[in-house]
Amino acid sequence: MSRFRHTLLGRLARDPLAVMAIVIIAALVVMAVFADLIAPHDYTAMHMTDRFAAPSAEFWLGTDNLGRDTFSRLLQGGRIALTVGLTAVIISGVIGLVLGMIAGFGPRWLDNALLFFFDTLRAYPTIILALALAALMPRGLTTVIVVVVITSFAEYGRVVRTQTLSLKHAEFILAERAMGASFGRIVFHHILPNVLGPFFILAAMNLPVVITIEAGMSFLGVGVPPGTPSWGATLKDGFDHIRQTPWLILAGGLPLILVTLGFTFLGEALRDQLDPKLRSGR
Amino acid sequence: MTGSFEMSKTALHRAFPVLNRRQLLAGAAGVSAAALLPVRAWAQDGRLNIRVYTEPDDFDPVDASGFGEALLYGAIYRNLIQYESGDDWSYRLDLADSIEQTSDTTIEFTLKEGQMWSDGYGEITAEDVAFTFERILDPEMNSRIKPDVGPLARVEVTGRYSGVFHFDEAFAPFWWIALPYLAGTIVCKAAIEEAGGRITTEVPPTVSGPYRVRELRPGERWVLERNADYTGDNPADYERLDIVYIGDEAAAEIALEAGDLDFTEVSPGSVGRLQGNPPAGTAMSMHPSLFYVWVGMNMEHPKFQDIRVRQALQYAINVNAIIEAAWYGVAEPSTGIIAPGLIGNRPESLIPPQGDPQRARELLAEAGVENLQVTLNVLNDVTFTTAAQVMQATMAQAGIELNIEVHESGSFWTLGVEADGDRWRDLEMIMNRFSMLPDPSYATAWFVTEQIGDWNWERFSDEEFDRLHREARSETDDARRDEMYRRAQDIMEESGAYRFITHGVTPNLFHDSTAPGTRPDGLPLAQYFRRA
Repeated sequence: MSRFRHTLLGRLARDPLAVMAIVIIAALVVMAVFADLIAPHDYTAMHMTDRFAAPSAEFWLGTDNLGRDTFSRLLQGGRIALTVGLTAVIISGVIGLVLGMIAGFGPRWLDNALLFFFDTLRAYPTIILALALAALMPRGLTTVIVVVVITSFAEYGRVVRTQTLSLKHAEFILAERAMGASFGRIVFHHILPNVLGPFFILAAMNLPVVITIEAGMSFLGVGVPPGTPSWGATLKDGFDHIRQTPWLILAGGLPLILVTLGFTFLGEALRDQLDPKLRSGR
Repeated sequence: MTGSFEMSKTALHRAFPVLNRRQLLAGAAGVSAAALLPVRAWAQDGRLNIRVYTEPDDFDPVDASGFGEALLYGAIYRNLIQYESGDDWSYRLDLADSIEQTSDTTIEFTLKEGQMWSDGYGEITAEDVAFTFERILDPEMNSRIKPDVGPLARVEVTGRYSGVFHFDEAFAPFWWIALPYLAGTIVCKAAIEEAGGRITTEVPPTVSGPYRVRELRPGERWVLERNADYTGDNPADYERLDIVYIGDEAAAEIALEAGDLDFTEVSPGSVGRLQGNPPAGTAMSMHPSLFYVWVGMNMEHPKFQDIRVRQALQYAINVNAIIEAAWYGVAEPSTGIIAPGLIGNRPESLIPPQGDPQRARELLAEAGVENLQVTLNVLNDVTFTTAAQVMQATMAQAGIELNIEVHESGSFWTLGVEADGDRWRDLEMIMNRFSMLPDPSYATAWFVTEQIGDWNWERFSDEEFDRLHREARSETDDARRDEMYRRAQDIMEESGAYRFITHGVTPNLFHDSTAPGTRPDGLPLAQYFRRA
């Protein structure tokens, strides 16, 4: 038991911020995974006589312009958000990790070239770049994921590169080299584990950003096709019909707020636990 | 260094004396009040903002293609005759002092004397009139509004102020779709020849209407101002007129309530709320629309080459459900492309508006098609995206999976145009809406074989249809014409390539400081707007 207290999970379990984050995220994940079981209505079913209904016992968060149950649609929207978020973060994270380590370990010219590439991508306003890319590709979830990956992997690359550069000249790495350790051993046994801490913090912080990009694209009409129950599409429906019902826009915004809070709290808690400087300062 | 800092601090205090709490609150209240001022300031300070749903983007009338241009040209140019504002379709003399049909194939006109072009381009003469129409007829100009002038052969100039239109055959629609509309926009021969044959700048070298162009802000607005050189009898009532491009009706409605617009069409979904309780300082009007909305299928696409597949899609679309959801029940299902009240309107369509999913399944089975997936292209507009989602649901009942592709205005209006790329090859289904004028030939003109790759995105081609369109234009017997246009729409529907949805309605919302000038179908005529 005392050993558990000193593990990362044990330390997180004692941090109220982390507990709150885990509760929020777990609730969202459970609702997304079991959406079909939890949803009180078919999320595609139109009840034209009940359009723009306010929250009630039958429709917990009211209905939209086609009389579809907003709560059931938000549950399905959670699936889309998590699918896009996790897929995009994993893909962009892996790309960023590999390129960042290449930049950190590679020759100076390659480092400069990659750095220029990262900074060029990061210099574009995310939504503008997303809109430009979306205009060139067919509409759908895959496009959203591709757009999000392109707009976000550079940030991972930048962080991993900086971390790699600082580790490359650390004394324990120099000692390993002096003892004849192979390149693979240095990278996979020493650099990678030390890079993963900041990487996971960034990933946790980035997930809500990614989900918000998806929602933003859907809100602007370049994300998922109409009819797809994404949170951004629900927000857009709410905006279009705000005169008929305020509930739709509130309901569309609520999960975005929760997911942002949840993953930001988690990122903060992870940073508190994984950053040695912060820990020693406590 | 310290001294200079002290000096600048003193200077700063002199320029911005320290405020006490009371002064700060008073200042904040003043700023808040000033922030509210623009809400009611627009139309009252001699500035009018009219919203347009499609951006006018052609600088030269010979390239004009739609309502956006019609609104702009109505304000800056003149025609021989113009639509009158009001509830009944009629026209008034504008540049023409007199104009009359002197035979089946000739129309004679005489211009008012002393009507001037701006910026020193002199008097408007019959040479300008002839030049205007000959440019449209010139094959090298490749004018998209050539169908509007029908069998016009030439314009004979018989005097400085007089001339004769000569037609190869009778062409009754000329009075309604050409003379008072885009094709009849008279341009200045001298200015265009000087410009190299085409106006390519957003500020035309000369204008004749009550307003002139001050500047174009692409994607946002055309800024017009009063034309001091105007010589007609309908002078501008505003110092400045902005034609503001806002594609989305809901956004336009909010803009009007915020004071950024003085006139806009609103979405059908707002009608119920606005009719009973319009926002303070605004009024609402409803007009029967001539627009026609339909779902078309690209007949050359491999998926739609079998007529049974096209017919299955016709039966799979429940028009009643679409109208209830997207037009909130304030519109009626249409029977074709010609609205009630016009010659050629059909009393009913061949396929009932509610459709028949079972019949759709049978047709698909006969065609040997299973798991049909089709893509519908729509404008990014809440009415169309709502309609598309209803179609998605009702077509699913017939076992058809509908994917929806939403496009911004600029992208949408080039989907089927061959000159704008190869996207027409992959185009499957389109939900489209065309504007209309009070003559049935203006509807059928866009679906003839000659229009394939231009406006005929279904790539529909039928010899009988083409012949009916040609013959009906020169038919002077209304009963016979009526019969011909009804048959033309039967052919369209029988082809399977069209499912007619609605003509919609035009609900307009405007500030009560403005007396709008509109056509009977509710579309604005900028030149007739007055202060109330």
